[in-house]
Amino acid sequence: MQRIVLLWIAAASLLVAGQRPHYGGTLRIEIRAVVRNLDPTDIAVEPAEAAAKEQLTGQVYETLVRLDDRGEPQPWLATSWIHDTARKKWVFTARPKVQFQNGVVWAPPGGVISMADDRPIEQILRDLARPKNAVMIRGSDGALVGTGPFKVSQLEPNASVVLAAHENYWGGRPFLDAIEIRMGRPLREQALDFEMGRADITEIPITEVRRARQRGSIVLQSPLLETLAIVFDSTATPSQREAVALSLDRGALQGVLLQKWGEASGALAPQWLSGYAFIFPADRDLVKAKQLATGSASLSFSYDRQDPVLQSVAERIALNAAEAGLTLRNTTGSPGLRLIRLRVTQPDLEWTLDQFALALPPAQRNGSGWEREQALLEGFRVIPIVHLPASYLVSPRVRQWNPAVRWTLADTWLPEARP
Amino acid sequence: MTFRTKLLLITSLTVTGSVALATGAISLWTRLTFERMDLDRRQTALRQFQKDLSTRGQEVAARVQKAAVSETALRVAIEANRPSPDLSLLLNDARTLAETQSLDFLDLVQPDLSILSSAHWPARFGYKNDWAGAENGRISPDPFLTRVPTQEGSAAALAAVRTVNAGEKKIFVLGAERLNPSFLASIGASPGTRAVLWLSDQEVFDANGPLAQGGRLAQLASEVEHSGKPANATIQWDASNESAEAMQAMPFLSGGKVVGVLFIGTSLREQIRLQRSILWTGLLVGASGILLGLLTGLWTTERVTRPVKLLAEGAKAVAGGDLNAQVTISPGDEIGDLAESFNAMTVQLSEQRARAIQAERVAAWRELARRLAHELKNPLFPLQITVENLRKARAQHPQQFEEVFEQCTSTLLAELGNLRGIVDRFSDFAKMPQPTKGPAELNEVVRGAVHLFEAQFAARTTAPIELALQLSPDPLPVQLDQEQMGRALKNLVLNAMDAMPAGGTLRIRTARAGDSVSLEVADSGQGLTQEECERLFTPYYTTKRHGTGLGLAIVQSVVSDHQGKISVTSEPGKGACFLITLPAGRIE
Repeated sequence: MQRIVLLWIAAASLLVAGQRPHYGGTLRIEIRAVVRNLDPTDIAVEPAEAAAKEQLTGQVYETLVRLDDRGEPQPWLATSWIHDTARKKWVFTARPKVQFQNGVVWAPPGGVISMADDRPIEQILRDLARPKNAVMIRGSDGALVGTGPFKVSQLEPNASVVLAAHENYWGGRPFLDAIEIRMGRPLREQALDFEMGRADITEIPITEVRRARQRGSIVLQSPLLETLAIVFDSTATPSQREAVALSLDRGALQGVLLQKWGEASGALAPQWLSGYAFIFPADRDLVKAKQLATGSASLSFSYDRQDPVLQSVAERIALNAAEAGLTLRNTTGSPGLRLIRLRVTQPDLEWTLDQFALALPPAQRNGSGWEREQALLEGFRVIPIVHLPASYLVSPRVRQWNPAVRWTLADTWLPEARP
Repeated sequence: MTFRTKLLLITSLTVTGSVALATGAISLWTRLTFERMDLDRRQTALRQFQKDLSTRGQEVAARVQKAAVSETALRVAIEANRPSPDLSLLLNDARTLAETQSLDFLDLVQPDLSILSSAHWPARFGYKNDWAGAENGRISPDPFLTRVPTQEGSAAALAAVRTVNAGEKKIFVLGAERLNPSFLASIGASPGTRAVLWLSDQEVFDANGPLAQGGRLAQLASEVEHSGKPANATIQWDASNESAEAMQAMPFLSGGKVVGVLFIGTSLREQIRLQRSILWTGLLVGASGILLGLLTGLWTTERVTRPVKLLAEGAKAVAGGDLNAQVTISPGDEIGDLAESFNAMTVQLSEQRARAIQAERVAAWRELARRLAHELKNPLFPLQITVENLRKARAQHPQQFEEVFEQCTSTLLAELGNLRGIVDRFSDFAKMPQPTKGPAELNEVVRGAVHLFEAQFAARTTAPIELALQLSPDPLPVQLDQEQMGRALKNLVLNAMDAMPAGGTLRIRTARAGDSVSLEVADSGQGLTQEECERLFTPYYTTKRHGTGLGLAIVQSVVSDHQGKISVTSEPGKGACFLITLPAGRIE
């Protein structure tokens, strides 16, 4: 009996040990986007690169404040902040025992950071949460050094990045020894690598999520971070633009082609971020579209042909437009209209609209988020179609990884690594 | 052209013609044979292709049937049966079925042909299928050719339709295999042929892939597309003749519409090469034949023509007066016999000429004797009479003897003078001197000679002779002895006057004839017989009662000494015409 009890205790210990975080191991991630550098002050224009870059720099560099998934500012390197009314400035208390990845201790004078800024504190905090305001220094080799849980071990621009664990991270050493990110990997290659066990986390087209889950694969999805949108250039007439917009059957597109994932929308920013997305119309009016398209010349339609989701959506858009009497010719590099992906990289509407504006035709940058977005969408120069989550195939060995707006790789661990 | 050249030419032409005829005949025969074989091959390939296509159609139908009886299709049919089917659940089903059954195109459609799921165009769900080959709302269970709409346009395909029943409702499974290079390769063409499929000007391919020069089929394809009937043509793919390909075109029909044109082609490369080879061989053989013919001809003609040439030379020698000419040719054939005959002939001719000369000599001597006797007889008779009269007068009339003596001696002297004149003329003819030539003008010579006779012409009042001088207006320079030529001319004029005792016309004409000058002296007298013409220039031959027969002989001698020729033409009663031809001299 005693022996049986001992065996049960041993089995229970093993079970508990299997679910307890382990240190070590290298997490292998593959993405389609390419990142040229990891300088957070250098803002990438291309949405996919900007998104990937923010995910990576977020592991290396930290800001005084961070926005949580609901967009609320949370203390990070600054543990608190008060307003010095007499001196008309904000005083941020620095988190103690913070070291840069090269061992230098982060020690602001007096343990505080003072900031003279008469903007509302919410705006100041959102600004401080942006990657470009990360706390960093130049190392002896001139490279930027941050305080994040991982440091840049190796960077091959446009190809791969290896991040190594920051042993003296103030939040405790991350479980993973390293993270290897292979960039510029086509989706097909990613799928193959995942099947062959050469990658732990890969991207998966949203049109494949259901089939992957039916096969028993683990697919994790982010909040609605991506926006598919049509962008016109100056060659399309207002009538053509409006005809395309009104011909779109977003419901069928989202409900069938995109397997009911995401939300059909006529807004750029998703509802969870802006709160006003429902205001922008997304209904189809084929009759009016046909009227507007009468006598219109064909338009060139381009999109990333390596992206199966964009391809499927573009095909449906072309069919919808053809139903209205407008021909969209699939060409690459010709003027006309483009189908693009926009990506929310921060739970920050203003920042998001700033980022979107980089990839969209110029528009006013003043006013509220709603006003700015309305300006961007004016004249149907940009037609939002749907908001989608980012989807990832995740190996069963990956634990504690959540594809949120910001990845929390410091908490991720691999079970077969050392306990 | 010599006989030898002609013989060579005939030999060469015969060889060349024979080779050309043989080459042309072989080339034509080869072309016709190849064309017949190609046509057979194309028709066989066409039948084979149609058979294979039918087989493939059944295979496609079988695969579509498998798809239709699959659990996936049944699930789709069940979902489609719901009041509000969730198409998102069906989105990938068509693709799954297409992949499973290796079909390029697959649509799952409602009875109203609205698409539930599309393998090749997933985004097309909800839209109507327009390639089901439905006629009057009825879908045929047999495989059919159709054009399937795709994002890139439309694609020709071999399709079949099957029904999936789920309860009261049903759906259709439309599957198709694309007609592409792989399809053609899998069907395969008969040996020596290839299949080319024309679907549009931009979509032309064979089993190896798209044809870069597919546009060259456009015209023929268009003809077939419009007529809906097979057609034939030869297509040349590039500048080289060897690229030519005989094409048989057959329309692919679907529902009465032409969805594509199948070409079965056979390359003409081997045929053209063979024809070229035959041509070159013919040319080579022809050239060799010509060369061989030339060599053989040369050898043969040398053998054949050498004796002929010797005979010709012998004949020429005989013609030149050498009657002793002999030809040395080996006997044994016709030419040898001919040579022997020739030699015998020349011997006979030589003997005959010797005899003729001898006879002529005898005749000449006889004529001379006769002439001499005749000439001498005339003065001798008066001499004899005179002498007899003299003796008679002495005997009978001595008192008148002196008077008679005087008369008789005068007569004797006169007749002796005649004798001497006769002797002198003969002597002159025998001693005809060589001419002393010098530059002269023939017209002047003629005028000088005629001038001497003007008084005589004028004196003949009873039988007048009209002088018709037709002298060349251009000077006629000649090299001649004016005295001798003048004497010859005088003889001719005298002859003419003698020939016209009753008067007439004396016509003297001069003219230039190439490198020579001519002088005609014609009378309108009594004329001469043919025999007289032939003997006229023989010495001592005369047609006149008192002629010596030396006048024309002297004329011929003078003309001959001036490298000239004299001839006479005459007929009895129509006068005579003497023609003298002399070498022309240079004008100085």
